[in-house]
Amino acid sequence: MHKALIILQKEWLELRGERTLLMTILIPPLLLTILPIVAVYLIGMTPDEDTAQLGAVIADPSLAGLSELELGQAVMGKQFGLMFLIMPLLVPATIASYSIVGEKMRRTLEPLLAAPVRTWELLLGKCLASLIPSLIITWGAAAVFVLALRLIVLSDQVYRVILGGGWWVLLLLGSPSLALLMVAATVAISGRVNDPRTAQQIAAVVVVPILALFVAQLLGVVVLTPLLALIASTALAFLAILAFAGAILLFERENILTRWAS
Amino acid sequence: MNAIETCDLTRAFGERVVVDRLTFAAPRGAVFGFLGPNGAGKTTTVRMLAALIAPTSGSAMVAGYRLGEEDQDIRRNVGLLTESPGLYERLSARQNLFFFARLYDLDAARAETQAERYLRMLGLWDRRDDPVGSFSKGMRQKLAIARALLHEPSVMFLDEPTAGLDPEAARTVREFIKELRTEGRTIFLTTHNLPEADELCDTIAVFRTRVLRIGAPATLRAELFGNGVRIRIAGDAEPFLNVARALPFVHAVAADGDVLNVSLDNPDEQNPSLVRALIEAGAAIRYVEPREHTLEDVYLQLVREGEPQERAYA
Repeated sequence: MHKALIILQKEWLELRGERTLLMTILIPPLLLTILPIVAVYLIGMTPDEDTAQLGAVIADPSLAGLSELELGQAVMGKQFGLMFLIMPLLVPATIASYSIVGEKMRRTLEPLLAAPVRTWELLLGKCLASLIPSLIITWGAAAVFVLALRLIVLSDQVYRVILGGGWWVLLLLGSPSLALLMVAATVAISGRVNDPRTAQQIAAVVVVPILALFVAQLLGVVVLTPLLALIASTALAFLAILAFAGAILLFERENILTRWAS
Repeated sequence: MNAIETCDLTRAFGERVVVDRLTFAAPRGAVFGFLGPNGAGKTTTVRMLAALIAPTSGSAMVAGYRLGEEDQDIRRNVGLLTESPGLYERLSARQNLFFFARLYDLDAARAETQAERYLRMLGLWDRRDDPVGSFSKGMRQKLAIARALLHEPSVMFLDEPTAGLDPEAARTVREFIKELRTEGRTIFLTTHNLPEADELCDTIAVFRTRVLRIGAPATLRAELFGNGVRIRIAGDAEPFLNVARALPFVHAVAADGDVLNVSLDNPDEQNPSLVRALIEAGAAIRYVEPREHTLEDVYLQLVREGEPQERAYA
């Protein structure tokens, strides 16, 4: 564990110098935070029949009793709230892919592998280096969203509907697992490709279940209750741990060294 | 006691054998030169001995630890200078060294001390906080050497340490290697620079997938070319060929214009008799000098003899 922290520290020192990468990491979360706030605010200002009708077909008892404008805000707010589950997937993918593929491209991997560092220590350090910033960014952006909602929603009920128990459970318990899942997938893929973008693109497949949840909630197929969110978070945690173990198994030091570091 | 011992160490990639039954011993405190053409398997050998890649078969002991069974101990006790320095360019020289020192189990205070020690020793202290990306090739190479030494390894693998360096930087690196040798470390040196190998190495192995010959540079010269003298004569040397050939201690003799090249066992003892015989036969001798063969002559002869013999690994 000690060596994983040493690697983590080095990764962050390197990251600090990568200005372009930092911009790539920070801009999408910024947009994903501003967009929901602006959208929820504007919908609350403009009556929209379509959204009101959509609210009527969604089998969500928490929407009962809301006015047309409130319904518009609540439905859109709930949808946009899922953006914060995409954030822990975006940030670590960028960092992790540069972390492994970058070592290969800069030929720094051989001295690193020559040091007495076990594979799990190396990968844990690299995973944490992308996981921690992604959680800080996600939770920071979510905090901004929560505070902004307090100011722009039309009623307390809309606020409670958007930030329901399910959303909080997924944000606090599900997002670390989602981030780890994404990091593990990216690390596993990074060991096999020689371009960070390729690694990111392949790992992006992890986003698909979140998009499915987005659509399912929009169509009224799924209502994100705290229990459902808890079950989903637990399943994600198992999947994430399995994925991390898989990434360690798939990280063939020798192959990586002979194929890429020479 | 040997610092490195290998027995039939073999590595194949698929059907291609890259290192074939490598057997040698490098004594503690010696500089062991590993010479061979590009693609001969030198880097693969270094990677195997540094426990980076596993051999296909055979065994080795490095720094007292068994390869394949005590790999973490081997990594902890050897230093590796890779062909490419592999430094983190956005980090400063000190940050690079500190990071690796910590990976090699040095506590923070000792990591700082060691980083300072080697940065000063290699003349990089004034640039310690500059990003490595701003360093020249020579400075990077020195920093990579410092990195390989931070944990005070007993065995060092230096893969082409002076490749691509300007003469001044190459000289600094060579002087530093000599200093390491006086500290009693074992150095396994791969290089294409044959005068450098001649200057630094106690023993050399000429290698091309398999070992073609191992020995001290002087011994290899003697084994391959024998001891010899060049005798310059006033006029044509050809008429005196038979005079030299008739002497029992002369192995070979050749004439080249006014020069007679003579191979014999012990020039110190046999030269007076040789010179006397030639003078008695009427030769006017201008001068006699030892016939020098460079390590390059030895290397080229061995490499040319050793055709690439790739065999399918069975």
